[in-house]
Amino acid sequence: MNLQRTWLFGQFELTRLFATKRGWLAIAAFSLVWLMVLRYPIYNAVPFINSYEFSDIVGQIAGTIGLSALVSWPEAELAMFWIIGLFTFPMFAVFVTADQTVGDRNRGTLRFLTMRSTRLEILLGRFIGQVMILAALIALVTVATLIMLLYRDASLLTSAFAKSIAIWSKLLLTCLPFIALMSLLNLINNSARMSIVFAILFFTLIASVIGYVGAQYPILSWLNYIIPGHQIAELTGWQNTPLFSYALPACQTAILLGAAHVLLKGRDL
Amino acid sequence: MSTVIEVKSLSKTFGTKRALDNVEFKIEKGSTVALVGPNGAGKTTLFSIVCGYLKPSSGTIDILGHQPGDASLFDKISALPQDAQLDPKFSVLQQLTFFAKLQGMSGKAALEDTKRVLTLVDLAHVANSKTSELSHGMRKRVCIAQALLGSPEIVLLDEATAGLDPKNAKAIRSLIASLQGDITFILSSHDLSELERLCDTVLYLEQGQLSSHQSDLHKTEQGSFVTLQMLNLDADMQDKISNLAGVRHIKQTQSDELVIEYTKQPQPFDLSLLALIHEHKWTYKQLVNGRTLENQLFVD
Repeated sequence: MNLQRTWLFGQFELTRLFATKRGWLAIAAFSLVWLMVLRYPIYNAVPFINSYEFSDIVGQIAGTIGLSALVSWPEAELAMFWIIGLFTFPMFAVFVTADQTVGDRNRGTLRFLTMRSTRLEILLGRFIGQVMILAALIALVTVATLIMLLYRDASLLTSAFAKSIAIWSKLLLTCLPFIALMSLLNLINNSARMSIVFAILFFTLIASVIGYVGAQYPILSWLNYIIPGHQIAELTGWQNTPLFSYALPACQTAILLGAAHVLLKGRDL
Repeated sequence: MSTVIEVKSLSKTFGTKRALDNVEFKIEKGSTVALVGPNGAGKTTLFSIVCGYLKPSSGTIDILGHQPGDASLFDKISALPQDAQLDPKFSVLQQLTFFAKLQGMSGKAALEDTKRVLTLVDLAHVANSKTSELSHGMRKRVCIAQALLGSPEIVLLDEATAGLDPKNAKAIRSLIASLQGDITFILSSHDLSELERLCDTVLYLEQGQLSSHQSDLHKTEQGSFVTLQMLNLDADMQDKISNLAGVRHIKQTQSDELVIEYTKQPQPFDLSLLALIHEHKWTYKQLVNGRTLENQLFVD
């Protein structure tokens, strides 16, 4: 595998977002949605979370759902962003990265590319490109949240900056298997839309069946680990997160990309 | 000459349909090869296997010592795949420069080479246009341009001039002719006169089988056949021509066309034929030394 060619594919995906009119429109739409989220739910919730009068109630509610560590953060904006981001970015990733190779395959563009690079380079390059796009978008919202927080209390700069980097990293890590799943689904389906439909079926129907089977037959409970995002519940509370919760998405990503590579390698273009 | 492509016992099946059946041939360096055959004969399948888009069901292909799709071939073989389109969201310049970079060129070299190949197909003025803004013919020429990026040793062009207007089809033929010798071309087309002008070797595929593998298309035995196209061809003309010295056989292949087989004479046969035409004030349209590719493939 040639790393330079792989990197070129990744870079070219970035130009799809930052060098096309369609890409800038997508960024504008994404920014506006998050502006609304920051301005209303997060901005309005912060005084409530931080208020002395409600601290006991908030603490009790948060404690029952395992979020007591989060409500104790002075950087309440980041805590809110973390909770919302953790549950929305993975699904957002499914939609944003829905067309990694399928469009090019249908159009025949992959035929031009496979004369100049291996199929593995194309697959990994596109995956890396999508990861970079998502990393940029998560960074955009993280920075916006940080600015909003510092506007309220600039003295929190140091701790908030460290937490922002941790949040960005964890959100991106959580999204990796979702992006890899779309890499795989692109090779099974004939359109980006069908890839999204399959992803939705996977996270509803198949995940429910696996959950049921795992509950009925504990010997098969390991099947839950094939579902991307299975570790999200353990990450949410930001306390005593086992190392396994970080390793799982990385392993899922590697397995999904490996499966995609096997499929793409043997596939007629 | 060295062999650049060697195909042995190549077969490809799609379900129960056998698209290629035990195909074998060799292509020599610098030759221009025509891949001919009716629709569904397996031409595009053969192209796709050589390019590495499809895996053969059995058999082997050796391209410059490598298997199709091998990374060592990336800057040596290029192709115009049939019906393949560039990404409509990017400009021609962006995409071709990206392809050139994938072939190992620096950013500056990639840009210069992109401009060079676009100039070759007379499309330098649309470099900044998106492919969705171009006509079908322009898109085809851009796709031909991408096949010429870098210094490919083998170029496969599947229906390169299909859908082009006569002027641009002629320009593409001239371009291929100008690059012959340095590059080994494999061309597929239904335009036999085009292939006849450009190619020195013919691979004729029919129902997945290579029914003829003719090397040296133009190297017929000196003076053994001429093909004559006449205005108002009639039986009297045929009689008079058949009485010329050395004529062995005459065959009317079209309403206005005769293929004349003759044996070598002291007086060159074509001169005798032209003298006869001049003597009777007949009008001829075309005199071809040898038989046309069409006649070789479909009449004999």
